[in-house]
Amino acid sequence: MAVWDLSVIVEDLGVDAPPLTIGVTSDLHIGGVILKLVEKTQIKRDWSDHALWWEQKQQWLLRTAWTLEKCGIHADARLVFMPQHKPLRLGLPNGITLRLRASFSSPVFHTVLEICKMLNIRHPEELSLLRPLEEKKKKKDKDSVEEIYDLTEVPLTSVSQPCLYNGMPAHFADSPKTEAVYKMLSVTLQPPAPEAIAKLYRPASVVDKAHINSRWLDSSRSLMQQGIRDNDRLWLRFKYFAFHDMEPKYDAVRLTQLYEQARWSILLEDIDCTEEEMMLFGALQYHISKVSQSEPQMLTSSAAMDDLESALQCLEVKMEGESSSASEMLENMTAPVLNDYLKIFRPKRLTLKGYKQYWFKFQDTSISYFKSKEESIGEPIQQINLKGCEVAPDVNVAAQKFLIRLLIPAPEGMNEVYLRCENEQQYAQWMAACRLASKGKTLADSSFQSEIESIRTFLAMQKTNSGSQGNAPTDDSINTHSLVSPRYHKKYKAKQLTPRILEAYQNVAQLSLTDALMRFLQIWQALPDFGISYVVVRFKGSRKDEVLGIAPNRLIRIDLGVGDVVKTWRYNNMRQWNVNWDIRQVAIEFDGNVNIAFSCVTADCKIVHEFIGGYIFMSTRSREKGNTLNEELFHKLTGGHEAL
Amino acid sequence: MDDIDAMFSDLLGEMDLLTQSLGVETVPPASPSTSTKELNFSIGFTDLNESLNELEDNDLDALMADLVADLSATEEKLAAEMGTQKEPSPPPQHLPPSGGSRLSSPASSAASLSPPPPPQKSKPSKEDIEAQIKADKIKLALEKLKEAKVKKLVVKVLMNDGSSKTLMVDERQTVREVLDNLFEKTHCDCNVDWSLCETNPELQLERGFEDHENLVEPLSAWTRDSENKVLFQERQDKYEVFKNPQNYYLWKKNKKALQEIKDRDKELLIQENFCGTSIIVPDLEGALYLKEDGKKSWKQRLFQLRASGIYYVPKGKSKSSRDLVCFVQFDNVNVYYGKDFKSKYKAPTDFCFVLKHPQIQKESQYIKYLCCDDASSLNLWVTGIRIAKYGVAMYENYKTAMKKAAVTSVWTNRSTPSSSNQSTPSPTIKGSEKHHLPFQMMIVYKLTLRFTLLTQDFGNASPAPPPPPPPPLNEILPPPPPDPVLPPPPPSLPAKKTSPLPTNFPPPPPAMDSLPPPPLPPPVEDTSEAPPDFLPPPPPAAGFGSLPPPPPMMNSLPPPPPPACFGGVDQSLPPPPPDPGFLPPPPPQMLQGGGAGAPPPPPPPPPPPVAAPRAAIQPAGSVKKMPPPPPKRTTPSLHGGGGGGGGGGGDFMSELMKAMQKKRSDQ
Repeated sequence: MAVWDLSVIVEDLGVDAPPLTIGVTSDLHIGGVILKLVEKTQIKRDWSDHALWWEQKQQWLLRTAWTLEKCGIHADARLVFMPQHKPLRLGLPNGITLRLRASFSSPVFHTVLEICKMLNIRHPEELSLLRPLEEKKKKKDKDSVEEIYDLTEVPLTSVSQPCLYNGMPAHFADSPKTEAVYKMLSVTLQPPAPEAIAKLYRPASVVDKAHINSRWLDSSRSLMQQGIRDNDRLWLRFKYFAFHDMEPKYDAVRLTQLYEQARWSILLEDIDCTEEEMMLFGALQYHISKVSQSEPQMLTSSAAMDDLESALQCLEVKMEGESSSASEMLENMTAPVLNDYLKIFRPKRLTLKGYKQYWFKFQDTSISYFKSKEESIGEPIQQINLKGCEVAPDVNVAAQKFLIRLLIPAPEGMNEVYLRCENEQQYAQWMAACRLASKGKTLADSSFQSEIESIRTFLAMQKTNSGSQGNAPTDDSINTHSLVSPRYHKKYKAKQLTPRILEAYQNVAQLSLTDALMRFLQIWQALPDFGISYVVVRFKGSRKDEVLGIAPNRLIRIDLGVGDVVKTWRYNNMRQWNVNWDIRQVAIEFDGNVNIAFSCVTADCKIVHEFIGGYIFMSTRSREKGNTLNEELFHKLTGGHEAL
Repeated sequence: MDDIDAMFSDLLGEMDLLTQSLGVETVPPASPSTSTKELNFSIGFTDLNESLNELEDNDLDALMADLVADLSATEEKLAAEMGTQKEPSPPPQHLPPSGGSRLSSPASSAASLSPPPPPQKSKPSKEDIEAQIKADKIKLALEKLKEAKVKKLVVKVLMNDGSSKTLMVDERQTVREVLDNLFEKTHCDCNVDWSLCETNPELQLERGFEDHENLVEPLSAWTRDSENKVLFQERQDKYEVFKNPQNYYLWKKNKKALQEIKDRDKELLIQENFCGTSIIVPDLEGALYLKEDGKKSWKQRLFQLRASGIYYVPKGKSKSSRDLVCFVQFDNVNVYYGKDFKSKYKAPTDFCFVLKHPQIQKESQYIKYLCCDDASSLNLWVTGIRIAKYGVAMYENYKTAMKKAAVTSVWTNRSTPSSSNQSTPSPTIKGSEKHHLPFQMMIVYKLTLRFTLLTQDFGNASPAPPPPPPPPLNEILPPPPPDPVLPPPPPSLPAKKTSPLPTNFPPPPPAMDSLPPPPLPPPVEDTSEAPPDFLPPPPPAAGFGSLPPPPPMMNSLPPPPPPACFGGVDQSLPPPPPDPGFLPPPPPQMLQGGGAGAPPPPPPPPPPPVAAPRAAIQPAGSVKKMPPPPPKRTTPSLHGGGGGGGGGGGDFMSELMKAMQKKRSDQ
């Protein structure tokens, strides 16, 4: 057989190096070509990750047993010999950019699998990669912030071991540098500066929201095939909003990153919520950032530690049980009491009387008051049970106004009572007591002290906020503007916002870090628009563009102008769906002879096809409890014509 | 022995306090009695006096049984202690015996209250032992104190047919437990629709309690003169959302498609909305009429239900979430159905619901009135609000209710006999209750009983029926003896008295008439410290042995079950001062009536099928069981004999007191 020359560019020799030319015959298989190439370079190293990339055809030659003839390669083919894993700059849901090696040759779905394995994120099928938003202009300070986190040094082979060291996957425990990376991944970040939020792009309409979905990469093709080159930037995001089997014990990174994605979707108004909900999200963010600072995170996810912890807890319970001596029980029975002079005011119609001072006593869940301390042994003037009442603060630190507004339920309606405290200390104590009592807890409750603490913190925040703007915030105070979306920056001053967030905060202040994260995610998931990915489409037979909402369990047809839901179709009523790749049209048939068809305007129909197939794939997971991911099924459902 | 003496006097003190506190609680409600006497039109009782007259005999029996169970359990424990005291190693045994008696006592559910026995050293020194004893005693006292704090209400529940059932509810009990209790007492079919609900006639409101709620808490919010009632009835809407989730989650689809929905799709809907990380609230949005504050007019507004509350769209604004104005959040309000608001408030339709703080009982600006166009939208909104408010608890409740309904048929048959051992009167209840399966109910009166009985065990024992599923199993062990013994009515009762378990029933016997009820002291909060001015404790068993056997006396009394039984169903509506003295003792006839499976007043359809099977399954048993009714019905005679000293409520209370005085005097 005739020998002919094949020239191959070897990437490792440098950009300007001339291509190597080797003599081949048409029946030489790819493996043989690679062998010849390596010999020719005369470089001794591990070439196992390298493969041939055919530039004109934009495809990898990964089947080493195929001959050149079978591949259809002739002398004019421009081949590049390069590693399959290349560095990629990955934007994480928390906004940090991470540099790591990813596979440029396998389908994106598999690439994401590998990335998630490295980052220790379970259920990688829920995530995918997308192209970032075009950065408007080259920012001067761009390079200074990025590239702190580098995982490219981590050998790819070590990733497969699932064992944990020091509470983190082994490959993170190698060096302090990688440990820092793991900490960044698994611990929530502090709230961003309000200016940073304001600077970022916010979708203003459903159409804007639809545009983000045009940027998802095709999961059945490789990065290289989709024009991604080394060191390019991509975003890693949760794509399918069907979060399977969330287990805080194993999901430190997953939970944290999901929380970050949720937080940013709220802050950037990617998903709409009401003002009350925004305040609760703000309160939760505040709480989470506070608790994550104080809790040593690194240790919590270690399996060994878990055992130890549970053993300790067990022991503790036992001790508690055994040591409930009489004196302790006595202590439990005699709840602590608050006593002080406070001023009271009952705003009734036509009363001009102001605040009157009495001697107040707080016991169990009730407030009683007496003319004076001396008379406090006798019958109180009045006793008010606070169980079930509403407590609202009315505080102005600058003006030294510390008011507790109580709305106390009675058979006739709600009674309003104001209590005026003299100073912060007094206020924090009585306010905390009122709060607990309204939930039916007494002062003996273990949360009393922490409640006082959190009230003090908020008072401190108000102090710094009300001070001159230039003041650098102290360590534990957070600008409340960083907890809400920019529209509330305009609507409220920080000092107006603080009490509102505090109000919401009282309901979540006792949550543990994990519980707070979970609560945040729950409220997020309970929002009516949660989990809907929008695409602008043109329905067959319709003259105007409409929006198709793709949710985990249904498709929604939305009027573009009004934003009203026109119709919904559930996947479980779906008979089949087809894509006509020539005219780029998606056709779906539902039970009862319902047929719809549409072409996609803002996104490629492959993306829509993948979304639908992907959600159907997600719904198959729950039945089989197995841990192995059925990659093949995913491709079958999402691959389209290429998979066939 | 000193210790035992002290213990016993302590016990007596407790009992005395119990008596007193019972008496005390009786007083306040009694005063308005005169003024409210004419309120007879109401099915509910307006005061204790009336309600006591109204009490079915067997209700009283049931109550007595509860109380007596406490007493007997107490004594049992004491007996156990006495027994162990005689053994060589007295002190460290102190706790173990209590453990033993705990086992035998019908129900000891509150494990939390019983601290684990302290680690026992092999050879404690004398000081240690003494210290130990002291500590134990203090502990015991404290536990009693704790138990004393447990609030209990006597609640009268009205059934569909107008008859009623009275139960004691302890503040720790959930509605589910009370329902289970009622299932046991009424032998209904136990389907998941059975609910307890409260009505407020003044505001014309009605609300079904959720199964996980505590019953005592909402009832405590009622005012003293409240005409509110508690009903036991089947409510379609209670768990409809789990039976037909499509009607709530796909309500926008056309009706026909919804009817044809497959079971598999229903399951999927429940999965999606109740089994995920977060509960999904039905997507409700629509125009409702809102009654404007303090005005008579109703204004239409566009409302939206979200997990975080109800919102409305302000005038001229878009429907986008950020423009919504919060109308109400659910933390502090409950949702109620409004009845007949068209005439009461000039509402556009009668499909109204109300949101208010549970403690508000009268007209107030803080009550929010809303009105829907039709019944289905009302149902959607009320259910949607319940899902938003209670979340996954509702689904858990449903699953529990389903399980209950599934096991019930097997279980009720077993449980009936087993529970009968708890106290003599309970067979009475069972027997007679059978005749009016349909129940609807009301609360009669509230009575806070502060129980200061010996230990937590007995405190728990009083609401013994509540935690039903587990107890029956345990109970099955002890009960056997009484059951067979029961059938032969009066004569056999003494025999039963001597049987191991119920030995020391403090007989609620008469003969005490001459004793004036003890004075009613003011609220007893500082209980526990026992006035030790009582006699030294005689070995209880012996004491009872020498008692004049109570049953015979009862024999002479007119058997009480009448009003409760079928003939009395109608009578029970207006208060027929049960002068049971002249009531004929008709147990056998009634039995036949009931056994025939033809309950005369059966409004709801379910009962008959139930009645029939029961009759079929254990005809002999039920026949046998009927006789016991007459047991220890002492009240009638007491009542007839001039009522108690403490007002109308006296008969009940004084009966109890007499029981105890009797006991004392025997000692």
